[in-house]
Amino acid sequence: MRPQGAARLRPRPILALVAANLRRLSRDKVGLFFMVIMPFVNLAFVGMALGGGAVGAAKLPVGVVAPSSDPVAAAVLKELRAHPDLAITSVATKQDLRSGVREGSLAAGVVIPTGSTRLELVMTQVNGSGMAARSAVDVAVGRVAAVLEATRAVEAAGATPAQAAARVREAQAESGRVSVVGSGTSGATPRGFAYTAPGNLLLFTFINSMAVAAALAESRRLGMLQRALTAPVRRRSVLAGEALSRFVVAVAQSLLIMVVSSLVFGVSWGDPLGVAAVVGAFSLVATGAAILVGSLVRAPSQAPAIGPPLGIVLGMLGGCLWPRESAGDFLNSLGHLFPHAWGMDALLALTRPGAGIGTVLPELAVLSGMAAGLLGLSLFLFNRRSC
Amino acid sequence: MTATLACAGLSKRFGDVLAVQDVGFAIEPGEAYGLLGPNGAGKTTTISMLVGLLKPATGNVLVCGTDLAAEPMAAKAKIGYVPQEIALYPELTGRENLRFFGRLFGLPRRALAARIDEVLDLVGLSDRADGKLGAYSGGMKRRINIGAALLHRPEVLILDEPTVGVDPQSRKAILDGVERLVADGMALLYTSHYMEEVERVCDRVGIIDHGRIVAEGTRHELVAMVGSADTIELMLDGDVDGAFDKLQALEGVIEAVRTGTGSVRLLAEGGRYVLPAIIAAVDGRATVIAVEVIEPDLEATFLHLTGSKLRD
Repeated sequence: MRPQGAARLRPRPILALVAANLRRLSRDKVGLFFMVIMPFVNLAFVGMALGGGAVGAAKLPVGVVAPSSDPVAAAVLKELRAHPDLAITSVATKQDLRSGVREGSLAAGVVIPTGSTRLELVMTQVNGSGMAARSAVDVAVGRVAAVLEATRAVEAAGATPAQAAARVREAQAESGRVSVVGSGTSGATPRGFAYTAPGNLLLFTFINSMAVAAALAESRRLGMLQRALTAPVRRRSVLAGEALSRFVVAVAQSLLIMVVSSLVFGVSWGDPLGVAAVVGAFSLVATGAAILVGSLVRAPSQAPAIGPPLGIVLGMLGGCLWPRESAGDFLNSLGHLFPHAWGMDALLALTRPGAGIGTVLPELAVLSGMAAGLLGLSLFLFNRRSC
Repeated sequence: MTATLACAGLSKRFGDVLAVQDVGFAIEPGEAYGLLGPNGAGKTTTISMLVGLLKPATGNVLVCGTDLAAEPMAAKAKIGYVPQEIALYPELTGRENLRFFGRLFGLPRRALAARIDEVLDLVGLSDRADGKLGAYSGGMKRRINIGAALLHRPEVLILDEPTVGVDPQSRKAILDGVERLVADGMALLYTSHYMEEVERVCDRVGIIDHGRIVAEGTRHELVAMVGSADTIELMLDGDVDGAFDKLQALEGVIEAVRTGTGSVRLLAEGGRYVLPAIIAAVDGRATVIAVEVIEPDLEATFLHLTGSKLRD
């Protein structure tokens, strides 16, 4: 009965490794908790803290000190009141405004001086809702500025102020008809879940990829790869099987966060092709980093001690944990040495209307380069140290 | 007949150390070959070259006539290698571990489940197959470790110290299983620290020391290298002095020593065959109440050839 089998063997090393590694992961209850539950706990809490919420959630309270007679002030106030995310309160003095912001009863404050277009914004730097309020104020002010600018241009062309105002109103109405869908959100930095969902995707995809590095180190320690190479398989198939196992986990983690955040938190991710490309490239980066850690550690227990803390620090630098506007330029520049910042740039850019894969080509190029470098280095080391 | 596993002129150097030097042997189908050597003698290096994990500096390996260096995939498909360490996933069950190796070797999808059941039966773990490997005893892990190398029905099984840290029940199951496979025609390469296992399982033995094969032959041939005299321990009752005189004069007895008031030790050629003469010689003077014949064993040969005990 013995000899018959040998001739019909069709080795399936990649399938064997991926299936075994995924099954191993499915037995790791702590690992699964961090993959399946933790991202959404984080998403829910941080999203709410940053002023997100499902439809009908509380608006951001913004205080305004404005002279009632000034036309510019009136225009700005009108725009601010029209903003769907803001609740505008008139405040008597600048001092009251400051104390309101300091105490947290106001997310931000705007002081509109009489006869000047230099508005003063009062906010605390570290507060997420302050950041969100600021972007909303920016949008409103930008609109008024555009109207003023247009009016000045029409007047310069020879019209009277009254004619100019009428022309601009017409133009506004026209553009309002044309771009009525996007007018509420376009140009604004996403806030709430729209910001935290991409942040969590990158954060958890990376951290959980790093956590599976322990399983890789365990495979090395057990001599599984050595043994696999005594089967009629090629070395590169074994390496590919190990790499694909980690990549599948990274992609699954990303998909889970995308699906749940869209269905439960109403997050819209933007152009599917662009998102797929960015998430794919980032998952490759995470795979490379996981294999690198899995190859370098001496004992499997070292991987969870190194990987997740590294993932958290890189996530902080990349703006996955709090809005990058609240970090300084130095931190943001530092962040762009690592993949998370590029991933955030790309995913946020894709949420803007009209953005597609073409919009994020530079970010994609950087992420792909990082992925290629990390995968090359890590597979080289992994091959040398474990096979 | 083509040998199932043949190697010739194998050498491997690690830095300044010549780990293996001109090693060669051949194993026929249905033959069990034992590789004996002290720690660091070059056993594991030799095996690593035989299974394709290390490239030999010189020499070649043929598996059923297929050159391992020229056609590694075809040659490896005929080898079942069981490493010394337990190389299995502890998070998976015994059956899932076997499925992994079955896929790795490329067993046809449909045949795999049935073959896994066969192998589980062979290693005596059918009833424990769906428990997590991490919860198995050392012996059960060893049995799955061996089973993983049998799924693809190899022509030659290579066992590197398969019974280290194993309870007596598992050891018996392993040795019985291995003997059955050899009886069915599989070739076997076996290394062990346990001399009695090698004596029991192997038809031929190569003794390796300092990277060289210093002696090779059947168990009897090797033992004969250090002389064929057996030791016979006798317990006598009655006229022990008179019986001792008779025994000293007996043909075939090389030496006789009184080791106690009622005990005598004899050194004799072909111990078993002199026993009737011994009993006849003491008849009427004393009664033999106990006798033990100790034949020279591989341990003695090994000590003689390598100057070191096997279990250092």
